[in-house]
Amino acid sequence: MKPSEIKKLITGALDERNDTEEIPAILEDAGVSYDFREGFAEKIADRLFGSVLTLKRDTEFKRNLNYAFYRIAITGVAAIIILMISIFIMQDSFSFNSFLGLGDSYDESIVYLITGN
Amino acid sequence: MKESYRLAGDDVLIKASLDGDKLAFGEIVNRYRRMVARTVKGMLGDSVYAEDIGQEVFVNLYNSLSGFRGEAKLSTYIQRIAVNLTLNEIKRRKRFFSMFSHKGGDELSEYEIADPENEEKREAKEIVNKALMSLDPKFRIIVAMRMLQGYSTKETAEILDLPLGTVLSRLSRAQEQLKEKLKKL
Repeated sequence: MKPSEIKKLITGALDERNDTEEIPAILEDAGVSYDFREGFAEKIADRLFGSVLTLKRDTEFKRNLNYAFYRIAITGVAAIIILMISIFIMQDSFSFNSFLGLGDSYDESIVYLITGN
Repeated sequence: MKESYRLAGDDVLIKASLDGDKLAFGEIVNRYRRMVARTVKGMLGDSVYAEDIGQEVFVNLYNSLSGFRGEAKLSTYIQRIAVNLTLNEIKRRKRFFSMFSHKGGDELSEYEIADPENEEKREAKEIVNKALMSLDPKFRIIVAMRMLQGYSTKETAEILDLPLGTVLSRLSRAQEQLKEKLKKL
């Protein structure tokens, strides 16, 4: 089926007056078919009746951990950016000293303390 | 035994499943997996998440089977579970991945891409997927119900538990949105 015909089908499905009952079959013939991968039914059987229950919990745990990690990562990045902006506003620079909260006279005062001159 | 279930009605399969017959439930899975795939993969794309949600649909179905009173058709009942789980997943993914511009929904089936003889079919699927993915989920689900499942607007409203007027207005807005997007595809 040509792309223009597919587009026509899509537009047809959006028209409330059209009967859409035949569209899925036509699309399927055109190659627009959906199914789950091999072993799908077996995985469900395992989850329901097998010993894979622990595996399921493991997978869910990993998924939740992933989501939690993103949350923490996003918060961390946001905090770093805010900190950098506030330092830049307060110190007018991004020098190492400004990150440590030290003024420009820091080096001199250290030298003074060490040498006494 | 398994062969006899192929011809059995949904009510027989439900009863047998409730009695603990794994083969009967297996037949329900095989009977409705493609229908669920059309909803889930039509909404989420051919991703790992879609496979997970597909499994979740049938696990939820099994766990809630005792509460199924047969007022609606089994297919409608399964469809509702699929729609709810898919929309929940979209919400969850939107919350966490939107700021990373993660477009998992645009993933296409790897086995279809790998087949060079199916260029035309691949292109057809790509157009449909891109058209669906370009829509907001609340419009996408209605288009998926109509286009991929062949439901009428009334049936779509029943499954989505929405007033018919809402379905019609969303359909019309989806039409507006897609008109321009289809030209670019």
